[in-house]
Amino acid sequence: MRRAANFKDYRFELLLILPLALYVIGFTLGPIIYAILLSFQEQFTNNFSLKNYYQIFSHFQFKNALINTFAITILSLILELCVGLFLAVLLTRRFIGKGLLRALMLLPLGVPTIVSAANMRYIFDSQGYLNEFLSRLHLINLPIDWTGGGGLSIFTLALADAWKVTPLVMLILIAGLETIPLDLFEAARVDGASFWQAFRRITLPLLKPFITIPLIVRGIDAFRLFELPLTLVGSSTPVLSTYTYFEYFQYNNPYTAAASAVILLIMIIISATIYLKISRERKSIYNL
Amino acid sequence: MKRIITLLFLLVFICGCRSVGKDVLRVVMGLTEEEWQVMRQDIFPLFEKEHDCRIKAYQVEAQDWVRKLEAMVSANKVTVDVFSQDNMRLYPLVAKKLVEDLTAYVDKIPSQITPSMKEVGVFRTRTYFFPYRPNVQITYYNQKKFNEYNLKPPKTWDELLKVGKRFKEAEGVGRLGLKLWGGSPTVAQVYELIVSAGGEPFEFNDQGCIDTFVFLKKLYPYLSVDSKKAKWDTTNTYLANESFYLAQNWPFGVNIIVKEYGKNEIKAYSGWRGPKREAHTVGGEVLGIPKGAKNKELALKFILFLESREVQEILVSKLGWPLVRQDAYGQIAEWQEPYFEAVEEALKEGVYRPNVLYWGDFEKFLNEAIMRILVNQEEIKPVLNQYHQKMQDVIIAYETRC
Repeated sequence: MRRAANFKDYRFELLLILPLALYVIGFTLGPIIYAILLSFQEQFTNNFSLKNYYQIFSHFQFKNALINTFAITILSLILELCVGLFLAVLLTRRFIGKGLLRALMLLPLGVPTIVSAANMRYIFDSQGYLNEFLSRLHLINLPIDWTGGGGLSIFTLALADAWKVTPLVMLILIAGLETIPLDLFEAARVDGASFWQAFRRITLPLLKPFITIPLIVRGIDAFRLFELPLTLVGSSTPVLSTYTYFEYFQYNNPYTAAASAVILLIMIIISATIYLKISRERKSIYNL
Repeated sequence: MKRIITLLFLLVFICGCRSVGKDVLRVVMGLTEEEWQVMRQDIFPLFEKEHDCRIKAYQVEAQDWVRKLEAMVSANKVTVDVFSQDNMRLYPLVAKKLVEDLTAYVDKIPSQITPSMKEVGVFRTRTYFFPYRPNVQITYYNQKKFNEYNLKPPKTWDELLKVGKRFKEAEGVGRLGLKLWGGSPTVAQVYELIVSAGGEPFEFNDQGCIDTFVFLKKLYPYLSVDSKKAKWDTTNTYLANESFYLAQNWPFGVNIIVKEYGKNEIKAYSGWRGPKREAHTVGGEVLGIPKGAKNKELALKFILFLESREVQEILVSKLGWPLVRQDAYGQIAEWQEPYFEAVEEALKEGVYRPNVLYWGDFEKFLNEAIMRILVNQEEIKPVLNQYHQKMQDVIIAYETRC
């Protein structure tokens, strides 16, 4: 009875959120459920089975895509955290031109991914700026194929991704650094601790919660990389999203494409669950 | 205030009257921006004037069109009167009964149109599509570089291999371009190599297929590293920036490479012959009318208009497209002539790929075989035997379903 009364009380509010709810059901939940159903349907008979999953897991390109996705995620996370932390520490110090440097560092965040991917092609192409630069320094005689597949392409993709999103990691870490009381560093300095010792014993442990956030958020994001690998390396270094795209658009097989998309969805759900769990734990620790 | 409202009402009324008075023809095509510009500025106004109608044109990519049209037909709401489609994506349109049967109008096709082009739109004995834009792969080469190394454009597989070796010896890197990005560009190229080796591409493991992969494996070390990123569009760039000294592509590259990049030293010829014959993949687009189109009569007039000499002359001179009718080449610029000679030569040895429902699966298998044999350096015969079996299973599955 009480619940029914509640609905009556909030009839207007419910009416207001109805369009959004319908939008989410129609354009987000609906397609996801359809994709999941499609992933279990056989191409020719429409019977439900695990055949599509069996097919993609026995497909060498899917295995490559899975490995590449993990490799790029791990490598780009390492790069983003290391560079982001370095820049965050640098930008919390006082020096002339700090404001300008901070603004410059944030610029890549405003560049659309597809534009940054196109720019990266100019840099990493066999006839691109990087090879030209290395050649002028007499470091290479022949152009390096940065985007032709293999480990080098994974590294190139991780680097290109890191260029785009390191500023975000840097911002989160700057916020974290600013929560550390300066007294601690003062006390350490009085005790004769070097910069490195203070960094290891004070900064890093207190920054740990702020490192976890970008680690997981960026991890989820890196699984979804699409425009960058598609533009920069094409099919020579497939990742899960581009594999799904090729299956659907190039080979006209929505069933295996759906199966591959569901695997990607599961990976993202697992990462998101970990993130939510950690956030909840942190809230209970800080009594938020 | 009253006056303003009355004026606005009149304005809306006049605008409404303007569109009510004229027939509207809804057209779907998959064109580049440059191509749309020519269509909208030079071609559509001629038709609109002649037939006192308005053309509303929309961009839809070839790979999306079957799904879109299927949705329209099943919803009984067909909002398109005429469309152009890649000739390799026609079978699903016919099999799913999404297009009008145009057999009754075949005699209206201009007699000047090359007969082989009409066959593309025929399925069993019925005609569903009319020809409008043929395409054939020609071979581009950098004449300056060939002269520098005292080389001639290769006419056979052996010569191609020799040219590749010479460039690599001289420059340390491969300079031959092969489109290995995957998908249709890769398949179109390897398909014609298999045919020129006397193979049947859907078989995968006959002697022609094996010979082709043996040759490709020999050629692979002499390819430019950019081959892995080469498709229709990027091949033009790689030829222009001299990463490739020789590569095959559609003739649309002529205007881009020579006119836009100003690379006059890049010439073209029909290409090389294989151990058994010379073969060049014929591609292109045809025109069709969706089932249930509201303006079928005007759509048919539009199709015939696009096949007219007047329009074809605009297409060749402004866009560099090869033509469906031979009497329209008179308008091409002098600098374009040698390239169109190459096109005509290539068309003489043109091969049409069959329109089959399992083309998507075939493309996937051939791409995988290329990747495994060339990039991963796997043994040729076991890989091809595997794909032969896979292809047969798919063919049987489709035939059983139909």
